This record gives sequence, structure tokens and C-alpha cells, in this order.
Amino acid sequence: MPRVTPRQRKNTAMADNRLPSAAPGALTVAAARTGFLALLVLLWWVASVNVARNIIPSPLATLEAAGRLLHAGDLQQAVLDSISVYLSGYGVAILVAIPLGVVMGAFNLLGKTLEIYVYALSATPRVAFIPLIIVLLGLGAEAKVFIVFLGAVMPILINTYAGVRQADPELVEMARSVGAGRLRIFTRIVLPGAVPYVIVGLRLGATIGLINTVVAELYTAVRGLGGLLAVYGNTFRMAEYFVVVLSLATIGVIVTEGLRYAEQRLGRWRT
Amino acid sequence: MKFDRVGETGPGTRMKNAGHNRPRLVLDSVEKRFARPDGEIVTALSDVSMSVEAHTFVALIGPSGCGKTTVLRIANGLIQPDNGAVTIAGSAPKPGPETGFVFQEFRLIPWATVQANVEFALEVLPLSRAERAERARSYLDLVGLSRSAQSYPGQLSGGMKQRVALARALASEPEILLMDEPFANLDAQTRELMQSELLHIWMRHKPTVLFVTHSVDEALLLADRIVLMGTGRVLETFDVDIERPRNLEATRSDARFIAMRDDLWARIRDLVLSDPQSEFYGRNLGG
Repeated sequence: MPRVTPRQRKNTAMADNRLPSAAPGALTVAAARTGFLALLVLLWWVASVNVARNIIPSPLATLEAAGRLLHAGDLQQAVLDSISVYLSGYGVAILVAIPLGVVMGAFNLLGKTLEIYVYALSATPRVAFIPLIIVLLGLGAEAKVFIVFLGAVMPILINTYAGVRQADPELVEMARSVGAGRLRIFTRIVLPGAVPYVIVGLRLGATIGLINTVVAELYTAVRGLGGLLAVYGNTFRMAEYFVVVLSLATIGVIVTEGLRYAEQRLGRWRT
Repeated sequence: MKFDRVGETGPGTRMKNAGHNRPRLVLDSVEKRFARPDGEIVTALSDVSMSVEAHTFVALIGPSGCGKTTVLRIANGLIQPDNGAVTIAGSAPKPGPETGFVFQEFRLIPWATVQANVEFALEVLPLSRAERAERARSYLDLVGLSRSAQSYPGQLSGGMKQRVALARALASEPEILLMDEPFANLDAQTRELMQSELLHIWMRHKPTVLFVTHSVDEALLLADRIVLMGTGRVLETFDVDIERPRNLEATRSDARFIAMRDDLWARIRDLVLSDPQSEFYGRNLGG
């Protein structure tokens, strides 16, 4: 019988608290995920054989199309265009939403005054503003960046605001009891407590921002990955079209995984 | 056992013959009302006078909702009384290093290390960074946690968390330690060990303590004097004439301990059964 060291016993107990089955190791997860990817590619191939080949391209045809696009430099250019629109809009959204959310949370009257308008705006489908944006800003990069900004700003703002408002009153009272002033309570208790909320907002904003990047490229001057999507979709070049879709999925995964990593680094105290 | 009738030893008389054992905390006819969310005014303290002398351990007991915690919050300066006077070492209390507050729920900063949690209470003191770290280390050592200084609160057990909170409260070297049912959230075994720990620390440092508890046994074990409160008033004060050092086994089997416990229990039970606000009002639970 294998001996159970105290360390192992502790790990088992912790896993038991969360899930009824034991948590698998990182290597097992990686292997299972790779296996599932192989299954997906297989299904894709089966679908491409059984559905007409000009609607669903085979994995191999898609790979060849990717090679062609990379060789011509079209894909790189499109990715570069899209990412610059995406990061500009998302970056501006962060720069506006986090300070505004913090200020709204810090000053009760300001927060109460603005929150209803923020909620109303976030409930309005932002696509509705696109014609107006085109009229005001034209079809160029400014309009695209603004559409991305408009999508990403709301979840970041709302979550930052909620995080600041939901500071733990018991910790705040503790800080008061040791003589901490308002500023120190805000910077040492309230703001760090809001970080998990802000990160949730950043993740939601990143996803919506990416969606809006494609929407912007479809509705305004046709450029970037969204532009390629329109061009290849409309001309039934499905292998190239698939390359674009997979590129978008890859960007989405990289961004959200990056934010997940940041969240883990910031939340090391959560054990 | 010595009984002090309410009002007979008011804080005023104690102040006058203040010698080397001048009271650290004095509450004189303190009154406190709160407005409930529905607008109704509730009187938390109607007329509370009491004092805690230097190096004395006073326990505050009484039924739930009788205003014990309000007394601590007023003593720390977190809230101001509506009427009456409060002084800590002669001046009006204000939140800060003059008082050390230990909360029932530990209230540690979860994203800060144990060391940083203790240092947090020292930041208002005129100490250099190195002095602050050194002070925090020495008090973590006192509560037996020097090896966990770099851990996060989430990695600690309930008893260890409360040790950190105790170190944080002691580290500012306060005039008085205010403890609000500090062991109520611990399991029975850990609670007893923490009581022993507190007795031990008290013998070494002789801090001035005002300790709120529900437990008659805990009050008798730890305190020099027990103040019995009922609905916003001090009802009676008891001196616990059991010599120190005390310990769990010997003190709890002491005949004086048992007699005082029975007496106090009977009084608290009578208080609860005769209180129309209580869920036990009018029940025949006589022992």
C-alpha cells in the first residue's frame, strides 16, 4: 500500500472540497485536450468529405490556403490591421473605464447619478450606433476604433464600479479602527478588493471588443480580418474563409488566456 | 465574590483617587442611539458607566444585543456617544494605535501576507520601515507565528488567523486591547488553546483588556473583573478573586470558579427570561 504523506493528504482534502472527483494533473489535461483537437479535426474532415467540398473545405485545403495567404502577405496585413484597431479601441476603453469606474465608486453621488445612464447605454445594442458613428467619423480607422471602444468600455466600467462599491465593510472598519484615513483605506483596502471585478470586466471587454472589431470591419471600410471574412465569404473561397475564422479564434484565445494568466498572478493569495 | 452595586463606584470617584493605577478607559453615563433603516430610533446604550484600570482584564458579558460591542466601538472611537463622556488614558478616543481591536471575524487583509497585515496597523506610528517590520516580527513571534510571516491569511487555520489579529492589535502597543468575542468563531478545542495562549500572553505583558464574550466560563477564566450588561445598561460588576497564573484545568475546577459560574449563569438566565424582547421571554427554564 502506498504511504500517504501529509502533503498529499492535504492536497486530496482540498480537491475533495471543490469536486467530488480528484482533480487531474496538468499533463493529463493537455493530453486530453490534444486528443479532443484531433477528434475535432477528424470530424471536420468527415464533414468536408460528406458535405460538398466547396462549402466545407478539408483541413488540408485550409492549411494550403493558409500557406497561400501567408506567402502573399495578405493574412499578416489583415491581422496587423485588425489587431491595431482592436488594441487601440480596447486600450482607450481601459483608460476611460477603469478611472471612471473608480471615481464613480469613490463618490457616491456621482456613481448614483451616472449608473442609471451607464446601465441604459450598456443595455442598448451598440450596433445601433454604427450608422451614426459612420456619419460622424467616416469609414476609416477612427470609426472602427470607436466601435471597438464602445463595446469594450461598458463591461469594464460596470465591473470596476461594482468592485469598488462592494468593498468589504468589515475590512474597511478594521482599517478605520487602526487609524487609517480615507485615502489609505481607499488605496489599500477598497482598490485591491476591486481587482478581481476589474479583471472580469477586462475579460468581458476583450471578448466584446474582438466581436466589435469584426463588426466594425464588416460595416465600415472593408479591411483587416473582418474585411477578408467579407471578401472570401461573398466569393465562396471557403478555404481562405476558414483560415480567417481560425485566425480570429486564435486571437481570442491568446487574449483571454493572457488575461487569465494575469488574474492568476494577481490572485496568488487565493489558495 | 464582591458585588459592586451599579453607580456606587462611578468612574468619577475613581478618577479622583487616580494614583499609579489610573483608569485607562472611562465611560461616564454614556448614551448611544441608532436609527434603524426603517427610521425607528433604537437605544443601544442608555446609561453606561464603567472603567478599566491599567493592566486589568475586564470581561463584558450579557445577552445578545445588550450593547457590548457598541461599548467597544465607542472605546475605539469608531462611533461617538450621543451623551456622556469617554476617555482613553485621559483623552477622547480616536481610532488608531492607542487602542488595539480584535474582531470576532479576524478581519485580515486577504491579499496581504501575515507580516503585512500586522504592519498595516503600525503605519500611523512614527516608525521607519525597518522598525515597523521588526515590531511586526516580534509580535508574530509572541503569538508563535514567526514561521508563517510570509503566508497569506487564506493558508492559515482559524486559530492562526486569530493569532495574527491578536499580534496586529498588540503590535501598536495600545493603551487598551479591545476584544470582541475573539474566540467565538473557533472550534471548541482551538478556543480553549487560544484562551490558554491569551492567559500566557497576559502574564508576560499584562496588557489592559476589555473583552466581550458570551461565555461565562471564558469571562471567569480570563478576567479580573466581570461587567454584566443587560439591554444598554451595566447591571452589576463582579471581581473574580482567583489568583494568577491561572490555567484551564485547575481554574475551572476551582470551587470559587464553580460558585461564581452558577451565580452568573442564573443571573443571565433570569435577565433573558424576563426580557420581553427575548425569544425565551416567559419560558419556564428554571434550573
